[in-house]
Amino acid sequence: MPVSSTSASDARRTGSRLVSIGIAAIVALLAVAGAVLMLTLPDANAFNARVERIFVENDNLTAQTEVKLLEILAQSGTAFSDTLASYRTVIFVLLVFATALLVAALVFLVMLVTLNRRMAQIERSGIQVNSLIISREENMAYLNTMGFKLTEAMIETLAVLAEARMDDDILSGAQIEAMISGRDETDCEEAAGATRIKRLRDGLGNQMVSEMLIKNIARRGYMLAIDKDVIEVV
Amino acid sequence: MTQLLTALTLTLALALPAASEAACFVEYKAKRDEPLKLQYGVAALPGAVCPSRDSAAAQLGPRLDRAGWTLLTVQSLSTAEPTAKMKANAGEFYLRF
Repeated sequence: MPVSSTSASDARRTGSRLVSIGIAAIVALLAVAGAVLMLTLPDANAFNARVERIFVENDNLTAQTEVKLLEILAQSGTAFSDTLASYRTVIFVLLVFATALLVAALVFLVMLVTLNRRMAQIERSGIQVNSLIISREENMAYLNTMGFKLTEAMIETLAVLAEARMDDDILSGAQIEAMISGRDETDCEEAAGATRIKRLRDGLGNQMVSEMLIKNIARRGYMLAIDKDVIEVV
Repeated sequence: MTQLLTALTLTLALALPAASEAACFVEYKAKRDEPLKLQYGVAALPGAVCPSRDSAAAQLGPRLDRAGWTLLTVQSLSTAEPTAKMKANAGEFYLRF
């Protein structure tokens, strides 16, 4: 189903764009916060400069005790600003953690949304082929986790189709027949290839439907392998 | 001769304090960084007339700088002898630089 698969990858693309925009926004926001934290907090000399200004601006602050007092004030300010510097480091580390957590949360959120959408797609489209393994020795084709027993001729047809798919080729009936029989394409008939495809469809389809839809329970009989709530007869 | 000597001594004795009085007294404020130290001091500049604030700062700045102090401001300039209060406030920095 090309349409549904396109929309599924579309959803993923929108999701990843959303994630990158979100991550950029979070990082920018916290970078600004970090810059504000680092640049606008007073540095160690701010207190000294303030005390110095008081000393210069007041002409009557000349007595020795007053000068000493001002010095002590500046020193306590410096001690406080040392504490402030250590706080700043702690806050910055916490900011980095917060960034990481926010980014992770956003990624998980978008992943959840994308997964939900994909799940809905899969539910609607019935079977989503994640892997196709063709085993020539066993004459088995494994679709996802389901194994289907096929005849040698069917396996041959499936293998030819798989190879053509990997090369992004489309084969006509005559080409299929030519590749399997080894004869020249002009000697092969379109109908022969079509017959091979029909047999493959019959064999594979039969088994697939019996596996997924109409189950045969040994010595008991047949039943639909679906939830009874989804059945509606109109 | 003795009279002359006495006169000379007297002149010298009178002239010396006059010479010290001819200095210009500068009240200044200076600082030292890390840790912040503040200084209020009185310094004497030669000359009977006080220079402008700027030139007084220019003269005093290098003197303080040699001792590791930075001149912050020149507060006042006066040829009059500093008061007792100024002397007490300046303490060890009275006429030190």
